[in-house]
Amino acid sequence: MYKYLLCWRYLRTRYIALASVISVMLGVATMIVVNSVMAGFADKMRDRLHGVLADLIVESSSFEGFINYEEVMARIKDVGGDDILAMAPTMETPGIIRFKVGPEYRTQPVQIIGVHPEDRAKTGDFAEHLFDEQGNPIPPSFAVSDELKARSPAGQRLRELRQEEPDAFLDATREYLEKQQDDQVPTHGAIVGYAIATYHLGNDKPDLFLAGMGSKISLAFPKHGRTPEAGLDAFTVVGYFKSGMSEYDSTHVYVPLEQLQRARNLIDPESGKGAVNQIQIKVREGADLDVLADKLQLGMEKLAEKRFRVWTWEQKQGPLLAAVAIEQSILNILLFFIIAVAGFGILAIFSMIVVEKTRDIGIMKALGASTAGVRNIFLGYGLLLGAVGSGVGMIGGLLFVRYINEIEKVLSVILKHKVFDDSIYYFDRIPTLVEPRTVVAIVAGALFIAVMASVWPARRAAKMHPVRALRYE
Amino acid sequence: MTTHIAALGLCKSYRKGKIEVPVLHGVDMEASRGELVAVIGASGSGKSTMLHLLGLLDQPDGGRVELDGRRIDDRPDRERDLMRNRTFGFIFQFYHLLPELTALENVMMPHLIRSGLFAYIKERKAIRRDAEEMLERVGLGHRLTHQPSELSGGEMQRAAIARALVGRPEVLLADEPTGNLDAATGQGVLELLRDLNRERGLTMILVTHDQQIANQADRVVRLAEGRIEEWVPALV
Repeated sequence: MYKYLLCWRYLRTRYIALASVISVMLGVATMIVVNSVMAGFADKMRDRLHGVLADLIVESSSFEGFINYEEVMARIKDVGGDDILAMAPTMETPGIIRFKVGPEYRTQPVQIIGVHPEDRAKTGDFAEHLFDEQGNPIPPSFAVSDELKARSPAGQRLRELRQEEPDAFLDATREYLEKQQDDQVPTHGAIVGYAIATYHLGNDKPDLFLAGMGSKISLAFPKHGRTPEAGLDAFTVVGYFKSGMSEYDSTHVYVPLEQLQRARNLIDPESGKGAVNQIQIKVREGADLDVLADKLQLGMEKLAEKRFRVWTWEQKQGPLLAAVAIEQSILNILLFFIIAVAGFGILAIFSMIVVEKTRDIGIMKALGASTAGVRNIFLGYGLLLGAVGSGVGMIGGLLFVRYINEIEKVLSVILKHKVFDDSIYYFDRIPTLVEPRTVVAIVAGALFIAVMASVWPARRAAKMHPVRALRYE
Repeated sequence: MTTHIAALGLCKSYRKGKIEVPVLHGVDMEASRGELVAVIGASGSGKSTMLHLLGLLDQPDGGRVELDGRRIDDRPDRERDLMRNRTFGFIFQFYHLLPELTALENVMMPHLIRSGLFAYIKERKAIRRDAEEMLERVGLGHRLTHQPSELSGGEMQRAAIARALVGRPEVLLADEPTGNLDAATGQGVLELLRDLNRERGLTMILVTHDQQIANQADRVVRLAEGRIEEWVPALV
């Protein structure tokens, strides 16, 4: 019993020892904050990656793709059975976008993706990422509305003319303006990546639209044929794709699948069917993606050897996800060293306390305390200090995580610049995810280090000869 | 009277660097049950060492310690720890109270060492009452919750006596119990010890360098040059 009493009393009377656990506390708090924020980022990123990419992707090894995609889809359904919930044929090709900004043309490389928007929406979060200029969600469709047409210069003029009395000259003008309108507002719509179409000003100012709704964009892409040749087509911006992953938002341009097939010369003249080079697949929740991918790969091989490659979304983004995981583990190793350093602090202060308590150790032995008993006093004291340090650190860390956005605001005000620039990540708040398992592991690790650091001083205290301890001054 | 505790041919030397310094060579002494024996000797004569050997705080290089005719100095550690806790009570010149604990907690210490957590929880009231009674017996009933630093020298020694006796030991070993107190206070402490010795039939071995104090014992032995030199009949 005396062990508990003395541990407790030492804890309450030795403030210097409490100082030594401040580093444990800070280490634990930092580890919890860093892990929670990184887990939050990774989680959000996976979420967004997964939202843009379907669960599984069957990709053609040839750039030109395959015409018989209905057959391929039937095969996928055969092999996958009930696990396959939805499929979307897709034609993806690199290309160049060009559109007019003021007097100049803006040109940049993009990934042009031909899709059936409704199908695509069924295989992932495509529809959830579509917005108009005001940031309102829009349905997954490439239809160019009359309103957009009327917004063009020719359209506006046409509307004015509608009020006037019809005559021959007016008819001719109207005919001319309608042609102009068709030129200014191409029939086919395109959904453009938000970062392509806008310029981010930062400082809470609204984003500047370079390619507004209803404006015309030109796309250039390689055409099908023996010699590579550029194909060109014009589209009207009918919406923006904003997933929060800058990699996608700054490269993706979605266009109607058939129009892209036509423009790329990928329609078979005999059957009238176009080619696709990807099938995006939505899988039943809870199904093992890797197993299913292997199964599908085998099924595809039977259909046509070496023509298809089946990816899971994680494989597609493997390097990025792996990089985040590596960053997190390296940070954890480094931060754990902080706690290890704190362990040496405990060791040093404990050794001093043992020296200071030499006579008390002698007294306790004279009163019948055993060697193990004395050792346990100091081991228990170490454990208690570790518990206080990691406990306070845990609470502090969790509170920090809970109020991280508020803290960020205060820091931003003090430092007079934004600590967390949302333009880089498109997150309006810092994402956090507290994993109880991680917290438990961190606290247990800190406790372990605190106990390990007190083993040596405790052994020294226990081994002390009672007579020499009593004579110690 | 039967011999209660006896030292037979005790030898002990200490090592100072490379030199062996012999302290005791062949000490023979004994105390009967209920007897108060004073050991006097100049400082450095090995009085304290003898007391430590008798109380199992140290092990002799030669000779033996017997309790009721049974050898006790070669017992295993566990048993020696237990005997220090139950059979012997120690009083030191510098009181040696634990500074973090109150007077009451200090006095409870032998009981706390004796009992585990659950035994304590079961018997905490009895343990507490025992310690309170003991403190009242030594005249510190009003000082229960004081820290040692808030007590005077005489009070601290009384608390130390209460601590030594609370576990109901058979043998009390006192190492210069009045050495650090002024004459009047020292006399008070001594009278308390004398009373307790009679009251409880305690065997007491009292080490001192003060002839005055030694004279109040039942019997006085002198330790000089590592041996018990002469037996001085007590002058009561």
